[in-house]
Amino acid sequence: MAVYVIKRIVVSIMTLLLIMCITFLLMNAIPGSPFLTEKSTPEMIERANAKYGLDKPLYVQLFNYVKNYARGDLGTSLKMQEGTSVSTILFGQGKFELSIKLGVISLLLAVIVGIPLGCIAAYNRGKWIDGFLRVMTTVGVAVPTFVLAGLLLIGFAVNLHWLPTKSNSLPDFKSYVMPVISLSFYYTCYVAKLTRTSMLDAINQDYIRTARAKGVKTRMLILKHALRNSLIPVITYLGPVMAGIITGSFVVESTFSIPGLGKYFVQSVLNRDYPVIMATTVILSALVIFMNLVVDIAYKIVDPRITLTGKED
Amino acid sequence: MMNTKKVFALLLALSMVLALCACTSKKPGDTDEDKPGEPFVVNACIASEPETIDPGLISSVDGSTYTQHQFENLMKYKMIDEKVDEDSNMLKTEIVPGQAASYEVSDDLCVYTFTLRDDIFWSDGQAVTANDFVYSWRRLVDPATASDYGYFLDNIVVNAAAIQAGEKDKSELGVEAVDEKTFKVTLEAPCAYFLEMCAFASLVPLREDVVEGNDNWTDPANIVVNGPYKVVEWVHDSYIRMEPNEKYYDVENLGPDAIVWWLSDSETAILSAYQSGEYSFIETFPSDMIESLQASGDCFINPYVGTYYLYLNCSKITDWRVRAAMVLSVDRENIVKNVTQGGQSPATGFVASGILDSTGADFAYGVSELGAIYNTLQEKYPDADLSTYAGKCELAKKLYDEAVADGKWDPQTTVVYNFNTNDTHKAIAEACGSDWQTVLGMSISTENQEWATYTNGLGEHNFGVARLGWIADYNDPVTYLELLVTGNSYNYGLYSNEEYDKAITEAKATLAGAERDQLLYKAEEILFGEEGFPVCPIYYYTNMYCMKGLSNVGYTTMGYFFFWYAEAAK
Repeated sequence: MAVYVIKRIVVSIMTLLLIMCITFLLMNAIPGSPFLTEKSTPEMIERANAKYGLDKPLYVQLFNYVKNYARGDLGTSLKMQEGTSVSTILFGQGKFELSIKLGVISLLLAVIVGIPLGCIAAYNRGKWIDGFLRVMTTVGVAVPTFVLAGLLLIGFAVNLHWLPTKSNSLPDFKSYVMPVISLSFYYTCYVAKLTRTSMLDAINQDYIRTARAKGVKTRMLILKHALRNSLIPVITYLGPVMAGIITGSFVVESTFSIPGLGKYFVQSVLNRDYPVIMATTVILSALVIFMNLVVDIAYKIVDPRITLTGKED
Repeated sequence: MMNTKKVFALLLALSMVLALCACTSKKPGDTDEDKPGEPFVVNACIASEPETIDPGLISSVDGSTYTQHQFENLMKYKMIDEKVDEDSNMLKTEIVPGQAASYEVSDDLCVYTFTLRDDIFWSDGQAVTANDFVYSWRRLVDPATASDYGYFLDNIVVNAAAIQAGEKDKSELGVEAVDEKTFKVTLEAPCAYFLEMCAFASLVPLREDVVEGNDNWTDPANIVVNGPYKVVEWVHDSYIRMEPNEKYYDVENLGPDAIVWWLSDSETAILSAYQSGEYSFIETFPSDMIESLQASGDCFINPYVGTYYLYLNCSKITDWRVRAAMVLSVDRENIVKNVTQGGQSPATGFVASGILDSTGADFAYGVSELGAIYNTLQEKYPDADLSTYAGKCELAKKLYDEAVADGKWDPQTTVVYNFNTNDTHKAIAEACGSDWQTVLGMSISTENQEWATYTNGLGEHNFGVARLGWIADYNDPVTYLELLVTGNSYNYGLYSNEEYDKAITEAKATLAGAERDQLLYKAEEILFGEEGFPVCPIYYYTNMYCMKGLSNVGYTTMGYFFFWYAEAAK
């Protein structure tokens, strides 16, 4: 296992390097400049390019990026917070921590609520509760986050005054309620649908029939035998989602005034803030790579028959 | 054993959730309720996170507003006891000496000598000196600063343009600290609006020892200011908190104990916070809520010196009659009433309403009530009824048909209308396209692009029609008219007219007065005369806001709000 993890880390670093190169080429290929405004002139843009080294050849700029990243220097924002170091923007004042916190809680909620709902639906296949959960989860994956967030905000904050309109830095329990529900609702419903489908698939397997023939009770069949195998697709889904739920929190953070990272993933591209684009892409990639590694290890835990290195048999 | 494990795992998961929930962050300053005896805090939201609050680098209205609250210039905006407008509940402002106690102007009106007040200090206790102004002004024009407003003093202050072009050193700028309290500025030619420029946010004084070598000098821990308020806390993407600067000469008379600028770009979130009483002032809200907000008495309208207009690319729509027909056939009343719905007024010229001539008259209507777009055409076609939309359409069709008959325009041509992605811009594009199609029979294709790609295309003149808005930098028609001079970087439609260029050059070198007014009025007539119509003005901007619980708030038509003498409304 240790050798496998070390190998994966080495490959991950190579992957990140490749991602940096591709990102650099792509962001320089799209038209526009971070210094374009309604009142900017070509001369002003030229001066700003010179100030931030964007007038140098592309290979020099790329080399500088890689060199600086190796030293832990993510560069300086050109637009969104001009002149501020990117690491301060992304990691200063607990932004990263805030987004991770919101993402992890939402994901935990999605798992804690979604998997049991899927099991209940599968366990009661064809009954009214299955029908109800299927309708609910279908609506859940269809309703856009901004609609749900807006409805919650108007209902519980503006009209009922039960919850604060601004969650800010999530100072207390109340401030979590609406952002977490908004962010996790889609994933909860999706996990429930996924669990139900894979559970039904598992129930029809031979080993379940055998267990049933041996007289194992249905409840035990679901919880002990079927659930374990049906979790593999769910785990596969949750890995990349963990990374996505952090970057995808843009709408939720914006609606509930949470100063997290979400907006930088979207607005850095719109603003052509190259160092921020690069940093957010590398962070997202690193998260996806890390979560894939976690997922692979989780496979092994859930199903010991799965081999990681191909030599364990 | 298995059950114990499961219970343990469940408890662990729950404890993780609770632990994460329990991780508390610092609360954003004061509560929002202003109870008797509690500090008076203004909670305002005018924009999202600013790109910068460095006065030398700012280019946005919100950044300028924060600067105006933290720094004071040679001249300042002082509130007067008169409402901005009948639809507003704010007070007008006028330009008066700020950090300057007095100023003298030379006989040739080219040298301004400001004497600074004796009682002006930086927030760290040091006295404000003329050198602080010299440093700040030189820093602004220094190409190394790469300021968006680096051009601001071009052709106004001696050598500013040459320094910007890299031909001269910044030390050669026409500014001088005669002594600690005397600041002298030498202009290239008399400038009618120079004193107004001296109140502009980019020209506030800065301390060299604070700014130089410190990229984070605007952080609350480092910043040193000379204005009424000082930032004490800045949680990025959340809020900026300002408190009175104890060293400010008028600190006793300041209103709020704190001003919290909330930073948000979500219209729904901003409106929700206002409706629940957490904000007392907002500028952004969903446009479909305007009507109900006006009905509830929350929403007010301020005049705002800006024009929303379209560039008509002269290299693609080469015949002036086609361009004139397009300008005439846009139903502006429909756009402001049914599309924008923000109290805007239909544009009648390129220079925004609110810009004044030397007599104090609104330049937009200085020649006639019809406005510059129609004045010249009315003279040329006296039979046309340009006071009605039907009359305008009739003349538009006539001009268009003439151009087609002369072979100057192929009616099969599809004109590409570009706009940056935005619902309002889209709706305006559709309204204009529909008018041109219905009235003239033109074929229009609308294309939206995200901002950076869009502005790139503007610079490459890669469009038939393209939208833009221009907010005045100072109250003078030149701020608009010089944009369309041959070779100007903002002349995206590639308009070129020698007579027009000459009129603008002469006006810039002429003292404020009747002669200068005539030159500027003539220039705008040329713009909308034969061989003209390079732009299609749509409407004059307004500034909508919601405010409750506050009074004594000042406003300039440049879009700046002043809360420093605000009071809780009785």
